[in-house]
This record gives sequence, structure tokens and C-alpha cells, in this order.
Amino acid sequence: MGGVLVTHADLPLGRRIVKLLWYDPGTPRIVALGEGPAPRAFDSFRIGTQPRLVYERLDHARQRSVAELFRSRRLRELEIQSVVYVPRHGASPEGRPVVAHVPTRTAEARLILHQAVEHREIRSLVALGSAFVYQLTPGNANHLLEDSPLDLDPAVPAALRTWIDSDMLFQAEAAGRRLRVTLLRLPTVVASGGFVYLHPLLEGAAGPRLRSAGFDPLCPVIADKDVAHAVLTALASPAVGVFNIAGRERVPLSVLGRWTGRPLLALPGPLLRAAGRSAARLGLGDPFDAPLLRFGMSLDTRRAAAELGFAPRYRIGLERAGDGALRLEAVTA
Amino acid sequence: MSHDEQLPDPTPRYGDGPERDGGPGPAAGDAALGSDPFADRDGPDPLAPWLDALDRITAGEILAVAAESGATAKSRQPARADELAERREPRTAGAASPAAPAIQRRRRPRASQPTRTAPPRGQALRRGDESELPPELRLLARLVGDDPARRLAAVGAGIDGWDRFGLSPNALQQAFPIFYALYRSYFRVRSEGHQNLPATGPVVLAANHGGLLPFDGAMAVMDVLLHSEPPRLARAILDRFAGALPWVNVFMARVGQVVGTHENFSRLLDDGEAILVFPEGIDGIRKPITQRYRLQAFHVGFVEHALRAGAPVVPMAILGSDDQAPILFDVKPLARWLGLPAAPITPTFPWFGPVGLLPYPVRYRIVYGEPLCFHERFAASAADDPAVVSALAGQVRRAIQRLIDGKR
Repeated sequence: MGGVLVTHADLPLGRRIVKLLWYDPGTPRIVALGEGPAPRAFDSFRIGTQPRLVYERLDHARQRSVAELFRSRRLRELEIQSVVYVPRHGASPEGRPVVAHVPTRTAEARLILHQAVEHREIRSLVALGSAFVYQLTPGNANHLLEDSPLDLDPAVPAALRTWIDSDMLFQAEAAGRRLRVTLLRLPTVVASGGFVYLHPLLEGAAGPRLRSAGFDPLCPVIADKDVAHAVLTALASPAVGVFNIAGRERVPLSVLGRWTGRPLLALPGPLLRAAGRSAARLGLGDPFDAPLLRFGMSLDTRRAAAELGFAPRYRIGLERAGDGALRLEAVTA
Repeated sequence: MSHDEQLPDPTPRYGDGPERDGGPGPAAGDAALGSDPFADRDGPDPLAPWLDALDRITAGEILAVAAESGATAKSRQPARADELAERREPRTAGAASPAAPAIQRRRRPRASQPTRTAPPRGQALRRGDESELPPELRLLARLVGDDPARRLAAVGAGIDGWDRFGLSPNALQQAFPIFYALYRSYFRVRSEGHQNLPATGPVVLAANHGGLLPFDGAMAVMDVLLHSEPPRLARAILDRFAGALPWVNVFMARVGQVVGTHENFSRLLDDGEAILVFPEGIDGIRKPITQRYRLQAFHVGFVEHALRAGAPVVPMAILGSDDQAPILFDVKPLARWLGLPAAPITPTFPWFGPVGLLPYPVRYRIVYGEPLCFHERFAASAADDPAVVSALAGQVRRAIQRLIDGKR
């Protein structure tokens, strides 16, 4: 497989992927990129004069810093052949817009993809995308295949627009011959302890959220450990293109909110819109209102199972912890 | 690849994982986490009011039997008092009061005690050996009978939480007593031709539609559940506007109904499900009284999918639905202005307000016709030929109309 470069390795999903790559004997070298200092979880992996794991600080949205890294002699010496694009996520999923009002996530995806295509030795790129890019029709069961239409409505919230833009960038390059591009569309990612990533409403700090009363969409979920396994499977597979990746479970949004410590307060639609506008005026953040808060979905993962050989390994549910509290857990199936 | 074995500690631990700098998680003992309302078995029993009502009915029945056997009204009151006193006092084994043994057995069933024989019409009072049912279904079995509870358990088996279309077995159990009462007592459904329901594999049940509110769909689903062997839950296909209705969309999804998109239809058939379709669509439920039991134009998509999936189409006639809310007039401009499928005027609506929308207690009759196995005569590629699909849909339409005309 050769060396693997992982973007945003300091964020939770990036760390999980780096850990799994570290224990994979087929990965000779790992370059982990992050914006902050090296996570303490990597300390034990970086021991020795020539450690398998190299951590580099990088501003992923700056063209100059990304270009310098990809053209550096050091990276050539590390013989990187694959790139894992982990998007920005976690407590602050979206930074300030960069040049020409391009959102940070879109700028990062564009730069990493461009440099990977330009690099002579990089042969494959595995990108993590979001399954919330699909267009949802009224109903609680939009069964979505990889070729289901994307939501290209101009009224799509900016937080979703960045996912859609990134998705289309990777899709466009997936048809190219020089670089094998695999895009994994992920639903809500959860981690033991009640952490949630990549969900436009639930992502970020724990706390109450607002939702539309009378709607409780079904949300497919996947454990963060399964995401890491899916990335490893995609790296080892010759298959290219877009794949839906999801776990076995799906839960209603209200239940997912409770499980992850983000209780959802149901407000009637007009009140919710008024509350959103008021919050925007007060500078408390942009209102988020999208079909995904009303209409549920389920992902068809048969293509990933057939071509990548991916099958989820973890079950997600509630377990009673030692202190008596109920916690979200992902355990081996 | 077994990466887990090489990890330092593959056992998930609380507080382990990426959360250290991944944002604050819920604090220990965070009550906000709560639990799944459907999975929570420690809360108040939702069937308790029903059971109390059942006990009262049973007590009334016993008193009626006692009256028939010559017991005086004077002797009844002490029996009731003794029974209540018996409930308050802790019982010892073999010391059951002779005054009200049936009540005590119904309230606290014991495996060693003989169960009461079911009355012929009171299937809701029948109980069998409940010990094999899971605890939550034992309560349901006491309410609706053993056989329906077992059937419900069978269709919910294998679904952990919610299925991919939002079906929740727990929600189904909670809704079942209401629809069972409607099926048995309100609409008094009679049905025939159950032998035409395939035991396994994908099948499309195509029925006529009527009655303003889709109680015909609910009764058809109940009938299939109660009469198919092995028990099957028919997944009714909903019009898309139902998916946008607040609360309605959630309820429909939790009890197994699915919005009719091509992807959903195809996936359901791939899963080997029984699908209930109303090819008339919304035109069926808003047709005026002058058109009752006259089938409207058919949507033909169900034939396409049946051909592709190799599923038989079972024509199904539902009689009674067109009489439950006869539409005298449909104010179409008003419906368009309100964004509703119909603005009906019936003998009771809008004169009695929303109550006027409730269906009249008409008797339902459901008839299953012979399966139409188009896939045996046509290749799956015939689904791409609109002329063939339209002709086959016409066959289904005529088959349903014949069933209706033959039973009216």
C-alpha cells in the first residue's frame, strides 16, 4: 500500500484512522497532518529515530503551505502513495471563509485534491464525505443509492453547501485515470461516550438544539471505529468511485439527540423559523433549517459491501456505565 | 484483517476514544442522555389503563353470568367487595378466594393455574399459555388475545430498534390494540380468499381506495397480519404528501408504512416484503359518492416494480371504505388554496367540525383475488415498455373491479 498521508489527523476521526493504520502491518509509513500540536495519543507512536508516524502541522486551507508540503523533498523521501482526506469536523467544524468567500472545508478539499493529482507518487486518494448531500423528498424513508440526486437547491444552508461542493470536486476527479479517487459518504458518526460528528445539527458542543415539531427523521449512524475500518478497506481495494458507508443501526433524530447529550426541543415550524431569525440577528449563529431535519433516510450500502468488502463491525446502542448513567456505546457486533 | 486484536485495549471504555479533544461530552450521570422511550421497560406501563378497563369489562361479564344463573343483586355486591379486599391482601399459594377466582387469575396469571376458555366472540378476552411470549407482549396478549400477540411478535422479530424505513416493533405494539379494536368492533371486518396470500417472498397487494381517511389501508394491513401464514406485515405505500404532514409522517413510518418512491418500492420487494398499494392514489379517496366503488385511473408504477422483482400481484377488494365518509362535493379551488388533496363536503363535515371527518361504523369486507403472476409471462425487461405495463395495470384494475362487483 505504501505510505499514507492523513489530513486533519489531530481531529477525532483522523486520530482514529491514524491509530488503525499504525496497527496495520501493510502501512510502512504514516504522515499525519494537523493544525494543532501533535495529539498526546500519538506520543507512543513517535518513539525512535525513524518512527513510522510523522506528524506535521499544516494550515490545510492555505494554498502556499499545502503546496510547500506536497512538493517538499521530505514528503518524497517518505514515499507517500495514498492520501486520506479527513474533512474538518468536531467542535468547530467550519472555520472562517478564506479567499473569495470560499468556505474553509471546500478550500481544503480543493487544495488537497489538486496537490494529490499533481504529485507524481501519489496513486490513490480516499476522501470522507457526508451523506447529507443527497436531496431528500418528504417522508421518513428516503432510500438513497450512490447515484441518487444531490441537493443542488440554492436555498441549501451554507453548512451543507460545503459538503456538496467538496463531494462534487471528488466525484469529478473520480473519473480520472492518474489518481484513484474513492469517496466514502458517511452518515452521522458517533463515538463511545456520546460524541457525534458530521451531523450538521448535532455536531459541536453538547447542549440542547431546536428541531421542527411533528418530524422525527430517521438517521443512519456509524461508529467512528467502523469509519476507520472503511478507510482501510478502501485503501486496500482497487475500486474507485462513490460509496455509501453506514452502520447497521438507524435511530430517530430525537433519540440520537438524547443518546448524545444533545436534547432536541421541538418547536412548530413558524416558531422555529422565527427563533432562527432572532438568533441570527443577535449574533448567536446562523439558523440551520434543512430537509434533513424533517425527512429521514437510509443508505444503500450494497455497493460498498460488494466492491470494497466493507461490513460494519460495531453495534451502537445505550449501555449503563459504572456511574449508573446511560451512555452511547459502540461495541463489537 | 483483525486490527482489533493488536490494539492496546480493544474493549470500549467509558471516556476512551477520540473525545479528549473532540469536544465536551456528556458529564457523568448526565440525565439529559435519557433512554429510548420505546426501549424503556422501567417506565409506567402504557397498557395499564387498558388492562384496568379489561378487568372492569370482565367483572361486568361475570356479574352478568351470575345474574343469568339466578344470583340476586344483593349477593353480587359482597362478591365485588370480597374481590377488592382480596386484591389488597397479599395472597398465599392455594389460598385463593372462592368469591372471585377469575378476576385474580386474569390479573396475576400463573403458569400452574388453568386458563379460562375463550368466549366465542370475545377473542380479546382469550388467553393461552403466555409464558412463551416476551414480557411486553404478555400484556398485549391479555388485551387482544394470544394469537394476535404472537403474530405481532413474529413480524417484529429480527428488528432491533427501527428498521431502515422507520418501523418500530414497540410502536407497533402500542398502536395495535387501537387498530385491533377498530378492526374487530368498529368496522367488524370480514374477509375471504386468504389462501391467495403468498406465504413468503415479495408480493404486491393492489386494492381499491376510498373513504377520505385511509382506514381502508389500516384495516387491510390488520387483515393481512391476522390471516397470513406465517404472519406478514403488509407495508402500505403512502402518497408523498403524507410524508410531509407533521406527526402523521412519524406515526406512519413507525407502524411500517412507507412513502412511495421508486427506491423504497424496489428495496421493499428486494427484501421480500408484502407491499400494499392503492393504484388509484389520492383520486380514490376524494371521489364523490356518485363514483363509489368505481375505480379511478390507475398509477402503473407498481406493475413495473412487480415485473422487475418477479413478484405476483394480488388484487384486493375492500368494500365499506367508500361508505365510511361519502363525499357529496369536493371544493377543489379551496383544496388548491389550502394545499390539501381535497376539501370535501360530507353529510357530517364540515357541519360537526373535525369530528365529522371520523368514519361511520360501516362493515368492511375484504376479498383477495387470485394472484396475477405477470413475471411468469413477461421478462423483467417488459417493465421498460409503457404499453405492456399499462395493459397489465388494466388487467389488475379489471380484476379488482370484478371482485368489487361480485361482492356488492
